[in-house]
Amino acid sequence: MSGAAFGYRHKPVLTGVDLTVHPGEFLGIFGPNGAGKTTLFRGLLGLLKPLAGTVERRRGLEIGYVPQLETLDPAWPLSVREVLLMGAHGRIKAADREAAAQHLDEVGLAGKQRELFASLSGGQRQRVLIARALMGTPDLLCLDEPTSGVDQPHRTEIMELLGAIRARGPAILMVAHELSSLDRVATGALLVENGTSRRLAADALRSGAAAVYGGALPAPAEDA
Amino acid sequence: MPWDLIWELFKFSILAALVTGVVAPLVGSFLLARRTGFYGITLPQFAAAGIAFGFAIQPWWEATFGNLLHPTDMGDEMHLALSYHLAWAGTFTLAGLAVMALAARRKDGTETGVMAAAFAVASAATILFSQHSAEGDIFVASLLQGEILTLDGHEFEVLAITLGLVAVLLVAFRRELVQASYDPELCKVLGRKRWVWEALLILLIAATVASAVMTVGPIVLFGLLVIPPLVARPLARSMDRFLTLSALVGLVTASAGIWVSFHWDWPLGPSIVVAGAVLVVPARLVTRR
Repeated sequence: MSGAAFGYRHKPVLTGVDLTVHPGEFLGIFGPNGAGKTTLFRGLLGLLKPLAGTVERRRGLEIGYVPQLETLDPAWPLSVREVLLMGAHGRIKAADREAAAQHLDEVGLAGKQRELFASLSGGQRQRVLIARALMGTPDLLCLDEPTSGVDQPHRTEIMELLGAIRARGPAILMVAHELSSLDRVATGALLVENGTSRRLAADALRSGAAAVYGGALPAPAEDA
Repeated sequence: MPWDLIWELFKFSILAALVTGVVAPLVGSFLLARRTGFYGITLPQFAAAGIAFGFAIQPWWEATFGNLLHPTDMGDEMHLALSYHLAWAGTFTLAGLAVMALAARRKDGTETGVMAAAFAVASAATILFSQHSAEGDIFVASLLQGEILTLDGHEFEVLAITLGLVAVLLVAFRRELVQASYDPELCKVLGRKRWVWEALLILLIAATVASAVMTVGPIVLFGLLVIPPLVARPLARSMDRFLTLSALVGLVTASAGIWVSFHWDWPLGPSIVVAGAVLVVPARLVTRR
C-alpha cells in the first residue's frame, strides 16, 4: 500500500497511507474512536477502493477474514459447522468437513460443530470465526476487533490463539480498540490518527498507551 | 362428499396446495432469516396488483398487439393468457422488491413504515385496477378470497414446474445464498460474486410469488411463506434443519388445511392459513420449556 487514500463518497478519511506487510508479522491497527481504523482495514481487504495511491497484493495471496461479531445477525439459525464451511472454497467436500473439525479442535471448541452458532458465548463465537478464517489456509489473517465485547479470560485466550497461529507463518492484521490486547503478541503497530497512519515498532506497544497517545512516539519502523 | 370424488374433482387444486406447502416455506425461511418476513405479505399483494393491472390494460394490449391473447388454438390461448398474467405478476413483484430494497438501504428507521405503505398501496391498486375489467374483477376477487378449487391442469403444470425449479436451485445453492445474505463482506473478501447470489435469490422469490399468486392466490401464499418458517425457527439448530422443518411444517399445514376445507366446507386458502396459525402456538410452547 503506497500513498493510499481511503474514504466514502469521494471524501477522504485517510490519506498518505504507506504499509507493507511481511510474512509472519503481527500488526495491530489502533487509534482513537472515529480515527479511521475500520476505513483503513476495509481498504486493506479490498472492500473500499483507494481514492488515491496504490494497493497491491501478492498474486495468489489467500486472505482469512474475521469480521466484528456485531455484523453477523443472530437471527440466522446457523450451526457452528455451517459457519465454518463458509470459509471453504467451492463445493463442500469430505476434506472440508475434516478440516472444519480440525480447526474447531485447534481453537478449543471440539465437539461444538452441531451447536447453534448464536447460542455460543461471545468468546466462543470469535474463536469459531477464527477457525472459519483458517479454512482457506490464509497467508494473511485480518481481524476486526476480535476481542471487542469479550471478557478478560476469553480475551487472553484469543490473543494466545492468534500468537500460536502467527508462529505457523501467516501474517496477522488486527484492528484493536485497546492496546493492552496487542502488547504481548504484536510485532508492530499502525497508529491511525489525524487522517493518516504511522507505523510503530513493537516497543511502542510495550511502552503503553500513555506514551503513544501522549505524543512521545518512537521512531517509525524502517519498513513502514 | 367422499374423498375419492373430492380427489377426482379437485386433484389439481389439492396438488397445487401441497406443492406450494413444501416450496413456499423454503423461500419464506430466507425471508424470515433476513428479517424481511413482511415481504411475505407485501410481495404477494404486489403480484395481485400486477395481475389486476394485466386485466385492466388487456383491451389496449389486444388492440395494440393483435390477437396475441386469442389465437385460434384453445390450448395456446390458455398458455398465452397465463403467461401474460404471470409476466405482469412477476414484473410487479420485482418492482415491489426494488421498492423494499431501496427502503432497506436508507437505514433511517422508516423501513417497516415503507413496507406497510407499499402493502397499502398495492392493495389499493389491486382493487382499482380490477374495477377496470369485469373479468379481472371476478378473477382477482376469487384469488383474494383463496378460492383455488377451479385450478386446471395447465395452471398446475406451470406452478409445479416453476416451484420445482425454485426448490432445486434453492437447495442446491443454499450455502452460497446463505453466505451472501449472512456475511456479505466475507463474500467480497474471498472474491465470491455476491451480486450473483443476491440476484438469484431475488429471482427465486419473484418466481415463487408470481406463479403462486397467479394460481393459488395471495392468501395461501401469505400463510405458507411466513407461518411454517415461524413454526420451524425455534426448533431449528442449523440452516439445513430450518429449511427441512419449514418444508415439512408447510406440507402438514397444507394437508391439514385441505382436510379442514373439505370436512367443514370452508374455502381452501383461508383453511390452510388457519391450520398453519394453529401450529405456531404449540411450537412456541415447546421451545419455551
